[in-house]
Amino acid sequence: MTSVTDEETGLRSLAALDVAMEDLGENTTVLSSLRSLNNFISQRVEGGVGLDVSTSAQGSLQMQYQQSIQLEERAEQIRSKSHIIQVEREKMQMELSHKRARVELERAASTSARSYEREVDRNQELLTRIRQLQEREAEAEAKMKEQLERNRLCKQSLDMANKKLREKEDSLAQAGETISELKGRISDLQWTVMDQEMQLKGLESEKQELREQLDLQHRKWQEANQKIQELQASQESRADQEQRIKDLEQKLTLQEQEAVIVKNMKSELVRLPKVERELKQLKEENAYLREMRETNGLLREEVEGLQRKLGRQEKMQENLVDLELEKERLLAKLQSWERLDQSTGLSIRTPEDLSRFIVELQQRELALKERNGSLASSARELDKVRQQLQEEARQLGTQLLEERKKRETHEALARRLQKRVLLLTKERDGMRAILGSYDSELTPAEYSPQLTRRVREAEDMVQKVHAHSSDMEAQLSEALEELGSQKQRADMLEMELKMLQSQSGPAEQSVLLSREEVSALRLKIEELEGERSRLEEEKKKLEVQLEQLTLVGDYDQSKTKVLHLAVNPASEARQGLRQDQARLQEECERLRTLLGTLERGGPVPAGLEASCLPSSKEVAGHRTLGHHHAAAGDGVLAHGAGAHRAAPAAPGQHPRLPQRPDPRALQPSDPGLAMPSALKAGRLQQEPHGQLPPHTARHCPRPPGQRQDRVGTHSRPVPQPGPLCREGLPRSPSSSILESVQGCSGGLLPAPSPGTPPHTAQTLPGWEPGR
Amino acid sequence: VSQQGKNFHGITLRGSAEIMAEFFSSGISSILYQRGVYPSEAFTRVQKYGLTVLVNSHPELTKYLNNVVEQLKDWSYQRSVQKLVVVISNIESGEVLERWQFDIECDRTKALHDEICSVTRQITATVTFLPLLEVSCSCDLLMYADQDLVVPEKWEELGSQFITNSEQVCLRSFATTIHKVNSMVACKIPVKD
Repeated sequence: MTSVTDEETGLRSLAALDVAMEDLGENTTVLSSLRSLNNFISQRVEGGVGLDVSTSAQGSLQMQYQQSIQLEERAEQIRSKSHIIQVEREKMQMELSHKRARVELERAASTSARSYEREVDRNQELLTRIRQLQEREAEAEAKMKEQLERNRLCKQSLDMANKKLREKEDSLAQAGETISELKGRISDLQWTVMDQEMQLKGLESEKQELREQLDLQHRKWQEANQKIQELQASQESRADQEQRIKDLEQKLTLQEQEAVIVKNMKSELVRLPKVERELKQLKEENAYLREMRETNGLLREEVEGLQRKLGRQEKMQENLVDLELEKERLLAKLQSWERLDQSTGLSIRTPEDLSRFIVELQQRELALKERNGSLASSARELDKVRQQLQEEARQLGTQLLEERKKRETHEALARRLQKRVLLLTKERDGMRAILGSYDSELTPAEYSPQLTRRVREAEDMVQKVHAHSSDMEAQLSEALEELGSQKQRADMLEMELKMLQSQSGPAEQSVLLSREEVSALRLKIEELEGERSRLEEEKKKLEVQLEQLTLVGDYDQSKTKVLHLAVNPASEARQGLRQDQARLQEECERLRTLLGTLERGGPVPAGLEASCLPSSKEVAGHRTLGHHHAAAGDGVLAHGAGAHRAAPAAPGQHPRLPQRPDPRALQPSDPGLAMPSALKAGRLQQEPHGQLPPHTARHCPRPPGQRQDRVGTHSRPVPQPGPLCREGLPRSPSSSILESVQGCSGGLLPAPSPGTPPHTAQTLPGWEPGR
Repeated sequence: VSQQGKNFHGITLRGSAEIMAEFFSSGISSILYQRGVYPSEAFTRVQKYGLTVLVNSHPELTKYLNNVVEQLKDWSYQRSVQKLVVVISNIESGEVLERWQFDIECDRTKALHDEICSVTRQITATVTFLPLLEVSCSCDLLMYADQDLVVPEKWEELGSQFITNSEQVCLRSFATTIHKVNSMVACKIPVKD
């Protein structure tokens, strides 16, 4: 069995060796040993198989046992060697790996070194670049500074340029202003130039007219000269005949004159009564009409006054209503005030009573305050006195205690002294007894001086002691007296203290009562003061309202009234406006009738045409730029000046524009006053619808049917308010020609027909509307 | 017009009645010129109070003003006139557009031409904020006098010619020896369409 086991172990060891040999490839010594073992074992195994049968059991067992042990040892050796080989193999592997690692490390190191070198190079490059950049930065900063400096310089120059620009702008603005001023002046001058040009034109046209007139006059004069010569030629032949004819004619004329005179006288005589009657009638009518006019005026004034009164009455009513409301409020207040007496229970019926009550309350309050003050002062004084007394009492108490102590000490002293005295007296008695005994025993004269001396000394001592004791007794008695007096004072002070404490009690109660009254009075006073402040505020508000009303223009109608001149520009402007409106309406109606007739195709009635053309003339007159007023003294132009076509200012025109409306209205009234005589000469029919200045017609009642008379019948020498309307100055020659022509026509045609106005209008072809 | 009824307290014209009358004639002329009630050709320039003041050159208007001013002198001697008001009203509608109100107080102080100059300047300056008078207007002068004053022939009484919805601006005042004049102007608040 053991051989089998040995064989098994040997096989196992062989397997292990094979394994180890397979593992170890190159280790030759080990391999060689292993191979030898292998061989041995194989041999042994072969030999063992063959030897089993032949050998003895015990010897072979020991041999086998030893062999097995050897085998085991060898196996162990082999195992150890294989282990070693494994280890060495591992070591080799490790070394290889180590080498590889080293190699890789070296490679990595080299690569890292290279990379490090590269990075170092890069760093250097970057550093160089950085240096370059820094240099560039420095350069750039230097450039920046230079540029900043340049900027500053530029800004300075810019500021300078700005200042100069502003100065130039200011100068330009001033120049612009001067230019505007100059432009304004230029415009004014242009206007004046225009005016003057117009004047020139007018003057030239006048000059032309005058020249034409001159030519006419020349021709007339020449004709007259010729006629004169012919007459002179024939006069000589007729002289004689004329003389005779003259004589006869003179007689005839004388007779005719006488006849005429007689006839006139007869007719006048016949006419006289009629004329007188007519005169009377006319005077009566005149007076009646004047009265009627006055009454009209009065009635109108009354109406206006009544209307104003109405307005005032309405205002008064409103005021009344307000006042009634206020009155109700005040009555309510009054009643509340009157109820006061019921509420407060005092007999108050009038505000005077209330005021008296308040005054009384105030007086009472004052008195109570005074009393209060006096009581307070007295209380303070009493307190002070009490405190003083308390302090004194304390002081006295302390003094008392001290005195008591002193007394006790004194009493103790006295007792001690008395005891001493007793003792001394006893001693004295004893001494005296001793002395007496001595005296009785001894003889005198030897010891007597000494004895006497001693006796005297002893007596002196005794006297001193007596004196001392008497002093002490006196002091004692004094102390006792003081004690008694202090006790009396203390008793007195205690009594006074009690008295004061009893007195202060009732005084406080009286002060409290007055304080209640005072508080009630104060409340009342506050209420009254509140009401007073309210009333003051109301008063201030009313005053402010009053001021505002006075600024608006309100006034106290009971104290002031507002007056103005009856003849004032506003009223006259309004009347002028009304007249213009009426005239325009009439023209409108005329034009409508004319239109109607024209549309119907019928013949235009002369009257309408005549009536319309002056209106067209008027329109031309309105649109012309005023009338020349130079020749006021000229009789011709005085006629012409009667054409007072005061054109109304165009409504809607801006008041500030330099207007040139019809300026005729700004002429003085003299030509107007001169009108009646001129007009009665026959211009009335020429201008039946002439526009007249408002002043001439304003306050005159127009006689019915005679529109023409309105020019002449102005009764009041009224200032021309027409000029007070917004109208310009007279500056145009155009109308002057119109006037002169009309005047001429008026002079030449003493009884012009209605057809002349168109004629006169047509003689002025240069006059177009709109000039 | 931005100013809405600021109520300053004007001064009063204390002066002799003549200086006051002179002021009124020149002041009213300047008002009429500035507000364009009459065209500028109706005014001439005159040096007064150290200013170039416009005085109307039209005879009728001067006559009217002289009448009013003479009456004002008389009444101010009697100390029975309280205010002089220049009312500018629309001719057609009769609506009152502007009121220039001069309060007259009779006191005793000294005369100053500078004050008159300043008031005239202020009248000129107020034109800048007063609204334009776009319709044809005319003027009228009212006197606020004592109730018990005897009314002469040509004068008549009427209401106070308020402006409905007005705003007032008080101007400076000036004073002469006896009289003091407060000036203020009231104009109609323009209706915004």
